[in-house]
Amino acid sequence: MFERRLYHHVDWGLLVAVLALCAVGLVQIYSATGGWTPIVQMQIYGVVLGLVALVICLSVDYRSLADKSHLIYVGIIGLLVYVLFFGAVRGGSRRWIDLGVFNVQPSEFVKAALALVLAKFFGDSRRAVVTRADLFVAGAVTAIPLVLVAQQPDLGTAATLIPVAFAVVYVAGMPMRILGVLALVGVLAAPMAWKFALQDYQRERISTFLDPAQDARGAGYQQIQARITVGSGGAWGKGFQEGTQGQLRFLPVAHNDFIFSVLAEEQGFAGVIVVLGLYLFVILRSLESARLAKDRLGAYLAMGVLASFAFQVMYNITMSAGLAPVKGLTLPLMSYGGSSMIATLAGFGLVLNVRMRRFTN
Amino acid sequence: MPWRHTITRRAAVCAAALVAWSAAIEARLVYLQVVRHADLAARAERQQLRTVETAANRGDILDRNGRVLAYSVDADSIYVVPTEIGSADEAASALCAALDRCGSRERQALADRIRRGRAFAYVRRQASPEEARRVAALKLDGVGFMKESRRFYPNKELASHVLGYVGLDNKGLQGIEAAYDTLIKGRPGTVLIQTDARRQAFSRIERPPTAGAALELTIDEYLQHAVERELRAGVEENRAASGSAIVLDPRTGEILALANWPAFNPNAYRDAPADAQRNRVIQDLYEPGSTFKIVTASAALEEKVLGPDTPVDTNPGRIRFGSRVIDEDRGHNYGLLSFTDVIVKSSNVGAIKVGLTLGPERLGAYVSRFGFGRRASPDFLGESSGIVWNPATMKDSALASVSMGYQVAVTPLQMAVAVSTVANGGELVEPRIVRAVIQDGRRVPVPRKVVRRAVSPGTAATLTAIMEQVVERGTGTRARVDRFTVAGKTGTAQKIVGGRYSASDYNASFVGFVPSRQPVFTIVVLVDSPHGPNAYYGGTVAAPIFQRIAAAGLRLYGVPPSINPAPPVMVARRDDGWERPASGPAGPPAIITLERGAGGSASLFPDLRGLGARDALRMLARLGMTARLDGAGVVVDQDPPPGSPIERGAVTSLRLARDARADAARPDSGGP
Repeated sequence: MFERRLYHHVDWGLLVAVLALCAVGLVQIYSATGGWTPIVQMQIYGVVLGLVALVICLSVDYRSLADKSHLIYVGIIGLLVYVLFFGAVRGGSRRWIDLGVFNVQPSEFVKAALALVLAKFFGDSRRAVVTRADLFVAGAVTAIPLVLVAQQPDLGTAATLIPVAFAVVYVAGMPMRILGVLALVGVLAAPMAWKFALQDYQRERISTFLDPAQDARGAGYQQIQARITVGSGGAWGKGFQEGTQGQLRFLPVAHNDFIFSVLAEEQGFAGVIVVLGLYLFVILRSLESARLAKDRLGAYLAMGVLASFAFQVMYNITMSAGLAPVKGLTLPLMSYGGSSMIATLAGFGLVLNVRMRRFTN
Repeated sequence: MPWRHTITRRAAVCAAALVAWSAAIEARLVYLQVVRHADLAARAERQQLRTVETAANRGDILDRNGRVLAYSVDADSIYVVPTEIGSADEAASALCAALDRCGSRERQALADRIRRGRAFAYVRRQASPEEARRVAALKLDGVGFMKESRRFYPNKELASHVLGYVGLDNKGLQGIEAAYDTLIKGRPGTVLIQTDARRQAFSRIERPPTAGAALELTIDEYLQHAVERELRAGVEENRAASGSAIVLDPRTGEILALANWPAFNPNAYRDAPADAQRNRVIQDLYEPGSTFKIVTASAALEEKVLGPDTPVDTNPGRIRFGSRVIDEDRGHNYGLLSFTDVIVKSSNVGAIKVGLTLGPERLGAYVSRFGFGRRASPDFLGESSGIVWNPATMKDSALASVSMGYQVAVTPLQMAVAVSTVANGGELVEPRIVRAVIQDGRRVPVPRKVVRRAVSPGTAATLTAIMEQVVERGTGTRARVDRFTVAGKTGTAQKIVGGRYSASDYNASFVGFVPSRQPVFTIVVLVDSPHGPNAYYGGTVAAPIFQRIAAAGLRLYGVPPSINPAPPVMVARRDDGWERPASGPAGPPAIITLERGAGGSASLFPDLRGLGARDALRMLARLGMTARLDGAGVVVDQDPPPGSPIERGAVTSLRLARDARADAARPDSGGP
């Protein structure tokens, strides 16, 4: 199954960059939670298990995985339905399966499964362009898990599924005309969604994003605090474990959604540039893998996996810099979260998989 | 392979978008972390640090016997943190309902304050305990309390000008409170609290406040009260605009009483007009008139220009300087007078002739030797230094005016110091109002300060004899005090109103000291613009006030009469030792106690039974004895028994018990 010569084709640069981000994340979680806490330990377990998942996803030929993608997809859907009824509840959301030792969040794994099934679908297509029927199928395949995840409710994760579908469809050759129509529909639908689809708290989040000061103690609080946190770090930062904003809980969930702000506070602009560079490298390198893939399946798979990762990274950092509404989206590889870490590393296993098998038959 | 073409192109688009995004983010980070770094870092610090000032306890102000004239109590000030308040109007009406004196206007103002403020707004400063309790019961978010110290003057108007008052921020604004503000205010402590987002303090750096020092004033509360009473009565009787009086211990310079009328209540100083707040004794300048002849006479005697019996020709009762004619009061012509009678009858012409003989240099030297033209004391804020002529530019006409107390401007305090100089035998002693500073339980007395010797003891004695005759048979007969010899001088000076001397407004004053040969008090009384039944003369308006103040003071201090004194008193006084410390209490009180304690016979042992240990010891101490105590409670038995002769140096033993009735049947307590 694993051929020795493939070892030489592993993209070590990408792997090292990914691991470096995991390490930075661990250090910042250590700092933000104030030392050797259970949170840090859980994150280490997450990284270890993630590496195991990465190796597994790397070893099996992505084509054999794609052949079984419908089974994986159905299995994940089954888990989501299970979670909806029997999942563990935390913070008002039913997202987790309690395994005793730790909780698993199936929605994190949906992204990779979706990328796999969509890549398979478009990779098998004989046409060079995407038809409306293809779009409809892709939309349906995406909508099912999206609705299930949104029901938990976990709108952040649900939202990351859209870039997956969009990216695969986009690189699969969706006509720009349809893209234009979609954009138009989006623009037209936004006011309708504002009025009918969004909950009050969601509307509030958006309006406070546009003017945080209107509710400085309520919904705008996190955004203002994020800005203060990042700004107070300055060029060189306050130093490891010296970040007061996160440690004094002015910035909520510092080890989670706002890990990037904590980094900016403690390591300053200098540290941020390094981390930003690593993310940029990882994303561009993955993009390269997609471009260099041996076949359409591999290209679309890498692209789909990359899409949710890149979307989360960009959104989270934009939010941490106070430029986007606060939403429960973590920063992959750095934020605290075992399931996310495992799923993300498994995804990079797939990306590496595609790249190292570009010369095999 | 068209698909590869598509993916290559579209991946490039993605890469470009990504790079564009990262450029935007970096720009944003530069903006936040470099451009706005200082501002945001300050905001971070501000929300993490709260500084709370803990007020130091302001020191008490006591009179010379330890009676409290001013003290501080902690009062709650109520404040809000407006950002923690939901609705300003709701909060304002809730708070208003719990406060006293809060009508709709105050409520509106409070709501505005809450709306406008961010981190802090006062609701009410120095609220009453009931208000604080009611507000606390509301349990409103964002409402806090802090201790502020509030000043109370238990005696209201008493010594108001001396004490002054304290503003809301614990800062002395007038009087002693202002002059000694840094000393009695203490140093406020600060607590620097670092808080987390839930405002829980997790670290604090504390600098404790340093309590302010207590001041023991030279003022005697009882004497002050008497002086204020007599001054007010005198001002009202004479329908005068205002009046001032000051009582000084001529040997130590201690100001025993200082009063002005009108006075004010420092507890409600905001309601008092500025005129009532003036401390005229140190702030107001006046032309002293004839009382200033004391200076002229001192100079003449000291310079041996003439003696008390040297004749001075005051004919024809007027004297001319160019177009200016100065005549005697009511057109008198005293003819040939002895120098003594020039002062006793207060002859203007006589004084002018003496002044002209002295010349500007010599007279000017004595004017400044007596402390005129310079601030008398460092204890007061806003003290006037007065106005005196430069001898070099003084012409005869001016010299003539100065000789009889015109064309010089002095404060009543300066006048009192000059008179004290004569009273104490020629030494100018700096007047002072602070007797001791009490800090950390240690009492540091302020020493007596002799500025200079102004005249010789001989001159002072001669002048004292002349001033005695002023009261005995001259212009100041109404200052006579029964059984005491009084030295004094009257003064009646036209006031300058609108640039010229008024024909209706006068300053009537009387200065003097009593008992004249061993003075206990120097008293200066000044009445401004009397229009009452006693005309406007110092001898008719101010002298009676002087007399009443002197009589009250002598009675209060138990000063033995200086005319035909009772023999036991004289014996006691010699034993007591006249050479006691300069700042010590006046000796005479011991004599009166002696009389009271021993039922008029100093040589018999008093009955101490029924007294507490403290009172018994104090009584014995006044007799110069000590005692050995046995038990606790009140004295039930004593050895030697009451009525036995006193032996100096003998140790008395007292037996005390909790219940006096059970142990001994004390004779009627009103006995002695």
